[in-house]
Amino acid sequence: MAKTEELMFATEAQIDEYTDQIPEISTEKYLIFSSDGLMYGIKAELVKDINTDYTITYLPRVPNYVRGVINLRGQIVPIVDIRLRLGKLPQDSFCCVVVNVDGNEVGILVDMVEQMVDVPLDAILPVPTSSGQAMVSGMCTLPDGHTMLELDCELLLHD
Amino acid sequence: MGDSILDMYLYETNTLLEQLDGILLTAEQADTFSEDSVNEIFRIMHTIKGSSAMMEFSSLMTVAHRIEDMFFIVREKGMDVVPEQTKPELFDMLFQAVDFFRGEIEKVENGDPLSQSIDNIVNKINSLIDKIQGNPAAPAEEAPAADESAPAAEAAAPAVSAVNQDYPYGIHAFFDEGSGMENLRAFMLINNVKDYCGDFICVPENVETDPSTSDIIADQGFFVWFRTADDRSSAIPGVKNAGSVREYQPVDAAKPAPAPAQEAPKAEAPAPAAPAPKAEAPAAKSAPAPAPAAGQQHAKESLISVNLSKLDQLLAVVSEIVITESMVTASPDLKGLRLDNFTKSARDLRKLTDDLQDVSMSLRMVPVSGTFQKMNRIVRDMSKKLGKKAKLTLIGEDTEVDKTIVDAIGDPIMHIVRNSMDHGLEEREEDRIAAGKDPVGEVILSARHTGSEVIIEIRDDGQGVDTQAVLNKAIRQGLAAPDHDYSQKEILNFLMMPGFSTNTEVTEYSGRGVGMDVVKKNVADVGGTVSISSEWGKGMTTTLKIPLTMAILDGMEVSVGDSMFTIPINSIQSSLKVTAQEVIHDPAQGEMVKIRDNFYPIIRAKELFCMDQGCDNIEDGILMWVESGEHSYCLFVDELLGEQQIVVKPLPSYINSFNVKNFGITGCSILGDGSISIILDVINVYTAAHNIY
Repeated sequence: MAKTEELMFATEAQIDEYTDQIPEISTEKYLIFSSDGLMYGIKAELVKDINTDYTITYLPRVPNYVRGVINLRGQIVPIVDIRLRLGKLPQDSFCCVVVNVDGNEVGILVDMVEQMVDVPLDAILPVPTSSGQAMVSGMCTLPDGHTMLELDCELLLHD
Repeated sequence: MGDSILDMYLYETNTLLEQLDGILLTAEQADTFSEDSVNEIFRIMHTIKGSSAMMEFSSLMTVAHRIEDMFFIVREKGMDVVPEQTKPELFDMLFQAVDFFRGEIEKVENGDPLSQSIDNIVNKINSLIDKIQGNPAAPAEEAPAADESAPAAEAAAPAVSAVNQDYPYGIHAFFDEGSGMENLRAFMLINNVKDYCGDFICVPENVETDPSTSDIIADQGFFVWFRTADDRSSAIPGVKNAGSVREYQPVDAAKPAPAPAQEAPKAEAPAPAAPAPKAEAPAAKSAPAPAPAAGQQHAKESLISVNLSKLDQLLAVVSEIVITESMVTASPDLKGLRLDNFTKSARDLRKLTDDLQDVSMSLRMVPVSGTFQKMNRIVRDMSKKLGKKAKLTLIGEDTEVDKTIVDAIGDPIMHIVRNSMDHGLEEREEDRIAAGKDPVGEVILSARHTGSEVIIEIRDDGQGVDTQAVLNKAIRQGLAAPDHDYSQKEILNFLMMPGFSTNTEVTEYSGRGVGMDVVKKNVADVGGTVSISSEWGKGMTTTLKIPLTMAILDGMEVSVGDSMFTIPINSIQSSLKVTAQEVIHDPAQGEMVKIRDNFYPIIRAKELFCMDQGCDNIEDGILMWVESGEHSYCLFVDELLGEQQIVVKPLPSYINSFNVKNFGITGCSILGDGSISIILDVINVYTAAHNIY
């Protein structure tokens, strides 16, 4: 869909490019999950594991949104509850998405993992600054009409 | 310049320097260099020179080069060439040079600029070379210096004028750098030239029979001199076609200036001049050189150096395999099934994983000999400096411990050895003789294994600790109460308190006020303990008890609510149940308990860690009496689960960013059933609790 749109507006030079080689639109796979009624997306390449069967070990003296640590195949992985992190009420989330942020693996507790989608990179729009939605680095409309908020994992971990 | 090359360089050079130190110490004891060690030093200097030149560390290269030159002479002429009275000077200079190299290498490691002023040490070497050559004349000193600073072209100058005046037309050829066997390449070049013109001489001569000329050729190039310019031009194709020739240039001998002509042969070092009459002798002498060198090379190839982090990774994976294996074989799904084949295979698997674990652990183990050998040097230097005769005896050098531990105990051992040398051994020999001891003091360094610990003892046969003086000092420092009776052990413990130093004078080696307390801290960092024992007049023994590896810990599992914690066994004194009546309260809501005439505070893990579950009633739970450093207290937990050997896993860095370490949480471990236990650090638990209440 995005491709045809671009072709329509493309100049001649660009058309040459498209006809000479296989049309290539840079897309990125995103994992979509829901939390508190909102749809969030994370780049799929960062996702290391999706887990519903885990036991969280309580860790004292950390902020409340750090629920503890889990044993992921012998690695100690901290778990962050995204609801608490965003200042929402906690709920019994059952799905844990383990992502790699800067070489550190961190599990994020979400309500439900929805789907994987290919998102064209240029379809991701900046967040209007007035929007109070923290930890979001971009947003994009999905084919099914929902709006995906791209989660900024770095911000999620470090203020 | 790749970091890996630099790493290799540092590793190689450090290894060589350690080797060199060892050779020097043995040689100094024997008061001479054996032929092997001369060859070895020559080889080491040659390697350092070469690799430093490659890395463009010119100061290192220059000094190594000069020492190489000096040992070249010694190698050629034998150790007798060194006058008896020069020997101590030679040893001192060599030790100094080793220190210089070490210093420079350290600068390289830290990325600091290298020192520019190396004249001091270079001059020392030069004057020694002169003495060895029996040539006190000043000009000779200049000549090698000039030789040094000026590369190829200028270095050629003295040589140019040195040749036979009948052969004034020369070709100056250089071989590819590092091509090796320059003398043989020169010989091939000569053969090539012979095809074009038969009448010529070459410098250096005897290239075929004397392999030592190869270094001269590598440094200064190879000269071929002809009678006429025509001969020369006809021979050029021959030079050109010889293998590995990097560059060549025609040179004409300048009008022989009389002064340099005489000096040149001296400056040229003995090779071109000396070998002529005894060409056989040097050849025979240098023959053994390649043999040991080759043997060394061979031994080296069976070793590889591996990044420590890779070994850590391996160990982590292996410990996971061990845990996963027990999860598979003890899986609840198998309950009630009779699986003969499975059980047999599972048993085999268990055996193999055990082997795998042992092997991967042993990879990290290195002998303590490296650290021990370094002490030889310290004892030597200090006994010279302080004028105390002393010898160092090493026992159990081949005891192996984890690499991280070897690194961590180097400084503490050095400090204790220094202390022994400085404060332990008697000031004067007469005192020792009067006490009926051997006039030569002895420091014994020993290492041995006991189960999961390695015990390192530093023992000296000096005067021992004057406990009264220590106590007086402790009282003056405000560390001890004046009207209290202290046991000998308690008094000795004052030595390890921060800021305690008995020696009123600060010496070069010890007594800067940072002393045993730092030793104690360093050893504690790797999970070990330090204890001192002493008998007045007989000497003092410092014992370091260190776990074999930091990755494995003997821990006591305790529970609070659902959570499990691990307390290191070595900090646990005992566990005890108390009744509510035994708990003593203070006005600040603090709780205490009295154990054997002492009061200890109670810290409730549940409150410290803000947990929802867990016992509140002191009679339901159990007190763990722990001690670490100066702190001793009781930790109140729900239940004692049992002792277990655990694999320590560091906390994820994200968790560490919340400073949980300050609350005594140092790591995690995964238990056999896959659950996670939190490892507590007894000292920090105390500090945290102290800060909260």
